[in-house]
This record gives sequence, structure tokens and C-alpha cells, in this order.
Amino acid sequence: MTTTDIAPDSVAVTSEQNQTFVERLVTNTGNLSIGKSWIFSGCIYFLFSTVLGFLLDIVRFDSDSYLIFSNVDKFFQFWSLHRTSIVLLAVVPMIIGLAMCIVPLQIGANSIIFPRAAAFGFWIWFLGSGITVVGFLADGGFGTPESGSQREAVALTLLGFLLVIAGICMSVICLLTTIISGRCMGMSLRRVPLFSWTMLIAGTLWILTLPVLAANSVLAYVDLRGRSAIYFGSEDLIWDQISWAFSHPQIYVFVLPLIGIAYDIVPVAAKVRQRNHDLVLVLSSLFGIVGFGAYAQPFFDTPGTPVREEALYVVTAFLAVPIALFLLVGLLDTLKMGARNLTKHPPAPMILSLLSLLLLISGTIVGALRAIEPFELLSRSSTSAQMKLTIAAGLVAIIAAMLWWGERIIGKSAKQGFGLISGVLITAGAVLSGLTDSVNGFLGLDDFTTTDFLQKVSSEQVVKILIPFSFIGSILIFAGAAVFLFTELMRLKNGSISEVDPWNGHTLEWTEETVVVRSERPLLDEVEKAGD
Amino acid sequence: MSNTTLPPAESRPRTLVTGVVLGSIASVMFFAGLFAVYFSMRADAKAWGSEWFPEGAIQLVPGGMNMATLSLSVITMAWAVRSVSNNDRIHTYLALGLTALLGVAVINQTVFYLNDIGLPVDYSKASTLLFTIVGAHMAMIAIGVIWNLLVLLRAFGGQDTKRHQDLVSALSFYWYAGVAVYSIIWIGIYIAK
Repeated sequence: MTTTDIAPDSVAVTSEQNQTFVERLVTNTGNLSIGKSWIFSGCIYFLFSTVLGFLLDIVRFDSDSYLIFSNVDKFFQFWSLHRTSIVLLAVVPMIIGLAMCIVPLQIGANSIIFPRAAAFGFWIWFLGSGITVVGFLADGGFGTPESGSQREAVALTLLGFLLVIAGICMSVICLLTTIISGRCMGMSLRRVPLFSWTMLIAGTLWILTLPVLAANSVLAYVDLRGRSAIYFGSEDLIWDQISWAFSHPQIYVFVLPLIGIAYDIVPVAAKVRQRNHDLVLVLSSLFGIVGFGAYAQPFFDTPGTPVREEALYVVTAFLAVPIALFLLVGLLDTLKMGARNLTKHPPAPMILSLLSLLLLISGTIVGALRAIEPFELLSRSSTSAQMKLTIAAGLVAIIAAMLWWGERIIGKSAKQGFGLISGVLITAGAVLSGLTDSVNGFLGLDDFTTTDFLQKVSSEQVVKILIPFSFIGSILIFAGAAVFLFTELMRLKNGSISEVDPWNGHTLEWTEETVVVRSERPLLDEVEKAGD
Repeated sequence: MSNTTLPPAESRPRTLVTGVVLGSIASVMFFAGLFAVYFSMRADAKAWGSEWFPEGAIQLVPGGMNMATLSLSVITMAWAVRSVSNNDRIHTYLALGLTALLGVAVINQTVFYLNDIGLPVDYSKASTLLFTIVGAHMAMIAIGVIWNLLVLLRAFGGQDTKRHQDLVSALSFYWYAGVAVYSIIWIGIYIAK
């Protein structure tokens, strides 16, 4: 008897051709495709967050215009949405997207491990981010100082927030598993490229701290749902319970991969080997450990001493400064060694990498000043300054990474000049805004500025004089975000097909092929090909 | 002819086990966050001499029964892992089935106790924390039970063998993490009250 087996390839290919764009988008499990979805969504939220920041600064600039938000509760909702979205809907997703695309290539893995889980993680995050924003817009958010929000909408926001955290954690677990178990033979963890290494450290810290943030949100949700809240779900307390994730030290953990980005770009651009590679591994890990911030919650205040005045908090604030400085020195040393290899116009990603480290250092310095108790800066606008500087460091590094690896991710070249302009605009905006907020912190301006305070300040006082600079800073950051999005859209539309290895990197991410499995029986196909 | 000894092949941690261990760590951190809040607030309440739980509200017996049931499930889960690595299908069916059954028993006891306790969720901070922690743990065990049943189905289909034992090993890590979390609930909430 003869058995005839029909290869299912033709069926698979036909069904793929029949898929619509949306079907292909939703069902695609390729790491490049998932990574691009993360990056693109993050870009949109990045622009959205900068618009929010801009609107919030208008209110500080002209206190009468707070009517944009109709009342102080709305103002608070948008203020907290700005903080949440810039971190968990913009910076972290874009870093995850970059890692999804680059990490498997850097470590010699064909693709991400658990691709379906990685795609699921993205879609959970995407759904959660939408629910979170809708929750805020429906008069919810993370509570309000005057309890003027809709309780059901607050519950909706918390639910969306939990989905955001779940999506991030799921994707990070896929990334970490790829780094731990999917490295090519011969590549020990010591030899892992620094971006992948910092992703390993940052990802580990994300899965150690984000579940704690989820626990805070679940407590608030349980307390809030269906009855009057006892404590955790009280509208004026929800933000207090979760704000630790958006200030020192936790904020450092979210931007930790910027160290890896800078250390992967600069040595290749300067065409020299990185000296003291092991020291960089140790320092970047130390920076991550210093950034572990799940303990800095008001729940853990001891009577008389808030946790933010305890030794651990203060010591980590001061430790972050020398670690960041040492990392910059390492990078400058590499540049010095490779100075003769640099052309008159050094590559834009290299300049942006250095700027991002400088911003990080400024952020750590403001963080250290904040921790000095006699200055009483913990609830002042210095908190905002530290966050702006640190997050801007992450954003500038992401732009640098997109200019560096974008050709590998998108397959087309971008205008490096536009990318450089966007990074410089964000840096200038963050410095201007951060410096103003730092000085205003010393002058008594609160982190969440109520209009009452601003109306009391006379126009001759320094606080009032400095606020316009912060406003200009916000405009610059918004302009930087817009130019970045424009650059990437132009790349997609008009970018020329890129070279195989445009930077002469000769590292794995430029040589490794990304394998897209289309057949339903890939191994059998390989055997048949070999037979032919 | 000279004999050449090749270097031993480099081994990497098994992907499924690595992923599940990382996921279990994240779950444990979720509970760590809740426990930290619980113990911190309890310590404050005790320091101020306030009531934490009303006298007699928390019974030791239901918590103890759950702990005993989960301890038994640790043995049956280890039995399942051992059976798969020995290619012993009958014992694998029995061990996985028993583990799932014990998990269902824990959920049943917990639901009964939470209904019977007579302490509404919004009675105090302590009761909110109690319901959140115990409820979240019940969800963790429920996920474990569903996973267990799926693995059992695969075992019936002959897909859990010595060569493909990762799924059972991964499940066991998750299950042990769930039991470890419960042991803290038992000591911290049911015994220490």
C-alpha cells in the first residue's frame, strides 16, 4: 500500500496570504515584530506624556489657567497620569521593545524564547495601557486629594495598571529566559554584550519590584471595590502607596539599560575594546541593586522616622552618584583610547550616549541632595527634577539605540541629524526643567503644586521667575519627542535600505540572521533540502 | 591512532524550568509585598495596643488543615516528578491526579472558611489584608490546579515522559512556591494572628 502525504506548506502559505494586516499583527510571534510593536506603542505614549507635561507646566506658568483641568482633582489626575505614563507606558516599553529585537541577536539566539508568551505580554500591556488611560479620562486615576473622582473609574484604572504590570513582567520573563538559557555555546554570562547584561540585571529587578507595585494596587482595588474604602483604597492615599515606583531609588532601575546601550555604542564607535569589562559588569549591577526601591513605601515608616529618612534610603541616594560617575569615567577612558579613530563628526548615537550618562549623573546628584534631611526636599519639586533628569537620560539613550540599531530593527536608515536634534532637544529641556525644579525645591515649591500656593507667590519672587524656564523645558522635551517620532516615521516611509553592518561592529547582532519560521514542519523541510 | 577526548558539551538551564522559576519568583515577590504591609501594620497596631483581629475571629484549625493538605501535595508532586523521570506512567497519573485533588480540597476549605469567618472584608485594615492575601493565594493554587490537570491530560496522551519531563518539573517549582507562600500565611496569620 502506498501512502501519499501532502505537505502542509501550501496550506500554511495560502492561509498566511489571506490574513489581513490586523490578523498578521495580532498573530505574529517574531521577536522583531513584537519588539517593533513595543517601540511604536511606547513612542506614541512618549508623545502623549510630553503633551501632558506641557499642559501641566502651563498651569504652573499661569496659575489662572488651571481651569484647563477644571479643578484641583482633575489637575492631580493628569499629574499622576503623566508620571505613570512616561515610565510604564513610554520608557519601559521602548526599552523592552529594543531588547526584544536586539538581545536575541546579541547572544546568538535565533529568536526570543516563548514567543507566544512574549506576544501575549505585549497585548496584555497594550490592553492595560488603554484601560489605564481611559480610567484616568473617565474621572478615575489613582485617587484625588479632594476625593472628587469616580470610584468605579478609579477601580478601572487600577485594573488597567495591573494589566500593564502583568504584561511587562511576562515579556521580561521571556527576555530573561532567553538570556539565561538561549545564549549560544561558548558565550558565558561574563561575555554577554553589555546591553544584554544590563537587561538581565534590570529585568531581574523589574520582576522583583513590579509585583510589589501590583500588590499595592491589588490592596487598593480590593478595598475600593463595591464598598467605602477603609484605608488602602481611600482616594487621597492610593497615590502615596504607589508613588515609590516613580521616584528615588526605583526610578534608576527603570533606566538601567541605558548603561548597556552607552557601553555597546561607544567602544564600537571609537573602534577600541572596552577596558575593564568586568568592572563595568560589577558597577552596572551595583547601580541596579542601589535602585531597588520596593522598601521605600510609607507603609514601612517607623513612628517618628519616615522610611525616606532612614539610613538605607540616604546611603543608596549617595552611592548612586559615584557609581554613575565611575561609569562615565569608563566611557571617557574608552573615548580617549579611540580618539584618533574618531572623525570630525562623531556618530550621533555616541554623542547621545554620553549625554544620557551625563543626565543620569545629574539625576543622581539631585537625588542625593533630596536625601539630605535638613534641606527638606523630599516632598518638594526636587522629586520632579530628579525624575525628569533620570527619565530623560533613559529617553536619550533610547534615541541613541534607535539610531544605532534601528537599521537592524527596521531594515532602513534614518536621518542621523534629526535623531541627534531630538536627543539634544530632550537633553536641553530636561536640564532646563530639572535645574529650575531643583532650585524651586529649595525655595519651597511642592512636588504636586496646588494652585493655592502659586496664587500666593507674588510675581517678584524667585519661584515665580523660575517657573517659565521649566515651562520652556517642557516645550523642548515635547519638541524632542515630536522630532523623534517624525524621524522614525520618515525612516519607515522614505528610509533607504540599510547596509548589513553600517557601523563595522562585527558583533553578533550584525552578523546573526533572524530566522522566521513559516513552515509548519521546519525540521522536515531542512532534511528534505539537505537531501536535494 | 590517537584518541581525542572532546570537551563536555556546555549545558544551559532548561528553558521552561527557567521561565517558570522566574515567574514563581515574581509571584513570591507579589506575596512578599503583601506580607510586608501586613506585618508592618500588625506591628504598629500591637505597638499602639490596638486590636488587630477580634478575639477568636481567626481559627487555627482551618489554616492547619490547609497546611497539612498542602504538605501532602508536596509529597504527591515530588512523586509525580519522580514517576515521570522513571517513565512510570501509572504512577504519574496517580500523583498528578492526587495533587490536583489536594489543590481543589485547599480551595474548598478556604472558600468555606472565608464564608464562615463572619468578618467582612471592610471590617478593618487587618480583614482587608487577610482577604487579599488568602484570596490571592487561592488564585495561585487555582492556577496550579488547572495547570496540573493540563499536564495530566498530556500525560494521558503519552507526552510526559523521561525525555519530556520539563513541564512536570516546571509545574513542581510553581507548586512548591505556592506551598512556601502558604506556610508563611499559616505561621504569620493563622498562628501568630
